[in-house]
Amino acid sequence: MADAAQSGAAAPGENILVAEDVTKVFPGVVANDSVSVEIRRAEIHCLLGENGAGKTTLADILYGVYRPEEGQVLLNGRPLELHSPRDAIEAGIGMVHQHFELVPPMSVIENVVIGTPAKQWLDLTEARRRLEEFFADYDVEIDPDAEVGRLSVGEQQWVEIFKTLYFGVEILILDEPTAVLTPQGIDELFRILRRMRDEGLTIILITHKLKEVMDLSDRVTVLRRGKVVGTVDTADVDQRDLARMMVGREVLMQADKAASTAGEPVLEVDEIHLRSDTGRGSLEGLSITVGSGEIVGIAGVSGNGQNALFDAVVGVRHPETGSIRIAGQDTTESAPHRIATLGVASVPADRIAQGLMMDFSVKENLVLGNQRERQFSRAGILNRGHIDAFATESIDTFEIKTPSAAQITRTLSGGNLQKIIMARELSGQPQLIVAHQPTRGLDIAATEYVRRRLIQERDRGAGVLLMSEDLDEIFQLSDRIAVIYDGRIVAVTEPDATTLEEIGMHMAGASDTDQGPP
Amino acid sequence: MSEQVADAPQDSPRDDHEADAGRDPLSMLFQPGAWRLERRLYTRPVYELYATLIALAVTAVIIGLLVIIVGVSPLDAFASLYEGAFGNRESALETLVQATPLILTGLCAAIAFRAGVWNIGGQGQFIAGAIGTWWVYDTFSGLPAPVLFVAMFAGAAVFGAVWATVASVLLVRYGTNEILTTVMLNFVIDSGLSWLLSGPWQANNTPYSQTERMVESAFLPRFFDGSRLHLGFALALVMAVVVHFLVRRTTLGFELRAIGVNKQAASYKGISVGAAVIAVMAISGALAGLAGAGELLGLHHRINFEFGGQAVGFTGIIIALVARLHPAGVIVVAIAFAGLLNGATQMQVGTGIPAALVDVIEGVALVLVLLAAVACRYRLRKIAHHG
Repeated sequence: MADAAQSGAAAPGENILVAEDVTKVFPGVVANDSVSVEIRRAEIHCLLGENGAGKTTLADILYGVYRPEEGQVLLNGRPLELHSPRDAIEAGIGMVHQHFELVPPMSVIENVVIGTPAKQWLDLTEARRRLEEFFADYDVEIDPDAEVGRLSVGEQQWVEIFKTLYFGVEILILDEPTAVLTPQGIDELFRILRRMRDEGLTIILITHKLKEVMDLSDRVTVLRRGKVVGTVDTADVDQRDLARMMVGREVLMQADKAASTAGEPVLEVDEIHLRSDTGRGSLEGLSITVGSGEIVGIAGVSGNGQNALFDAVVGVRHPETGSIRIAGQDTTESAPHRIATLGVASVPADRIAQGLMMDFSVKENLVLGNQRERQFSRAGILNRGHIDAFATESIDTFEIKTPSAAQITRTLSGGNLQKIIMARELSGQPQLIVAHQPTRGLDIAATEYVRRRLIQERDRGAGVLLMSEDLDEIFQLSDRIAVIYDGRIVAVTEPDATTLEEIGMHMAGASDTDQGPP
Repeated sequence: MSEQVADAPQDSPRDDHEADAGRDPLSMLFQPGAWRLERRLYTRPVYELYATLIALAVTAVIIGLLVIIVGVSPLDAFASLYEGAFGNRESALETLVQATPLILTGLCAAIAFRAGVWNIGGQGQFIAGAIGTWWVYDTFSGLPAPVLFVAMFAGAAVFGAVWATVASVLLVRYGTNEILTTVMLNFVIDSGLSWLLSGPWQANNTPYSQTERMVESAFLPRFFDGSRLHLGFALALVMAVVVHFLVRRTTLGFELRAIGVNKQAASYKGISVGAAVIAVMAISGALAGLAGAGELLGLHHRINFEFGGQAVGFTGIIIALVARLHPAGVIVVAIAFAGLLNGATQMQVGTGIPAALVDVIEGVALVLVLLAAVACRYRLRKIAHHG
């Protein structure tokens, strides 16, 4: 960063990076529609918008991943022609994506050195010196020789950030950096980002979280459906203003939900241990109970065992010890098919990889898993008439926007993909619904739809196990909240009896119970 | 395979798939000036057909250029190739004779590939089918003819299926790569056949490694006088219909297509990936086994060391891929390839071009059709701009 300060033609406060009328079209979507943004030197500038608003696309254009169809990017007033991220880095622009671009089996130093301009000899000594300086300077405790794959996600993010700074960039773009952090980790990140800004670094931060914008940014540009709604000084606005800009209307901050009383337990997970291959995300004696007619929200930073819990309940993986009972029956060792027949619906976190056949038609996805039910086949032969009728009805009931039931699923939007899954899973009036990140990546309308359906199912008497990294969602939907940390439930409480901060402490493992951090 | 269900922590949200389309590596590589290569979200099947036809036309042009290099007029070469393949009734019927095992081995590869299982062992399963046929013939020769035919075909199917199942059990139980095991099992059964032919099954009073000739009552009926076209051809056509029905209209077909598209989602939705793999491999092997029975009962009437020398199992793989795994396509492509094989001799005699050119044609066609299959997932778009 020391290098960075010298090259600037722009003094602090002047425009350093400008996008002018940038348009970027993907098949079927105008991701950026004549977008103009001015980034000033040494400011923290937030790009705020819902999922699909075009924030990441804009950042990817500034970073050379995409070339816009129209418009241009100016750096220090001169047009910038970027053909690849390499060009961007050479121009002093670095970016940390949501998907880290690290090599897990290699050390921190090696990861940092990858991508530096080729030299005759690889000088790790020099790299180590600079890296240790960085870490010491910013109070970040990471061993430069540690294998990156063994670091926590938060630490990996630091490696990504320092890797970028090591290239000597003067503009740093961060795409949703807080998604993988605890509230406390977020505080640390923000503290360091503020200091880096004070030292002259220009920071562009992509987020959809209003609170982060208010906490951190100097200015904020709000995008909606690929267009810029406006750029404002953060000091001049409050969260409500930003929410209105982002969504285009007043936002209901609360979901309507009547009180409920839990009935008989439909899911009883007792002291299960399940070791994951990677060693991270294992279950270490987790217990949780879900009754009929209640939503139990599992809060936690990702990678603390949510995937394993989901897999164990739906039967894709089986715990080594402990037991799982669904509707009173032991399903610890049961196959997914058998568990489904007990009336268990599952909404997986990764709907494309785990929930759908993207190359199947919509109607095929609507019966996926139920193809052997009497309704859809006899003696192994599919009953196409019944499948068509069911599909037409589901598309109607769940408002799935598709040209026809025979449409290939790949062509549908994320919200409609999730509606296909919801339609399929809720069709059998399940007793238990296991939903993992059910609204991730969805727009506001689809999110509201999914949440409303979950509450309806609860009111019908289903038990819902909801795992989410979105604490607002947890607080809005849950009748009880449990916090998962390091493969265990470390706290169980009710939304009215706790605060965001308290849940955050538990998520970070800073419990005051005897089940506290290791 | 079901064990491989990912357990990587999903730390970061997935991009919209619209964005994935633009991030495609091929699109990023290819960005000349004002034109851009873009991945299509969805390719209409008719485009795939056009792309395949264009690829075949380009194949003809390339082969034509090769022929010119040899110093022969491409028109003459193609004319004599066609003449030999389909020029008169005899040659056309003989082409169908050659197509018979290719249709079955093509279906063998197509159904397995549809499920994402790479059965490269069609050749070995073909041999296993012939062995099964002979074993039934040898063991139950007293049966009345119709029953014996059914039993011999059943034996062929079972032997082919069992041979394929060796690989699928290794795959499901231990995760052994099925490409390697199926290929290696081809060698194993070749050696096994050599042993049978020079030992237990060797004909009396001959130095050759071969079985006795079958009695005529065990020959498959032929359709016409003066042509070798036998009942096996009809069987192959029927099996193509069966495979199509199985894949599109049954729960098993639904499940095997599902594991071919996304094994992880299939297992989350309660489909037993292992069971589906075992089933599809058994069906695949049975199809190749039937090809072996057809060749033995319809044409050769004995097994000798040349049996399987045409490598129909391997050609079936190419046919399946060129046909884009579609059963009707397999029939068309198998007949076309058989025509090439059949016409090659005439072309060699008539123009002096080596019959081995047919291998080149097959290879070029395969590469171009596969390229076309990738290419038609993209479109070129003109972009406005640039500064």
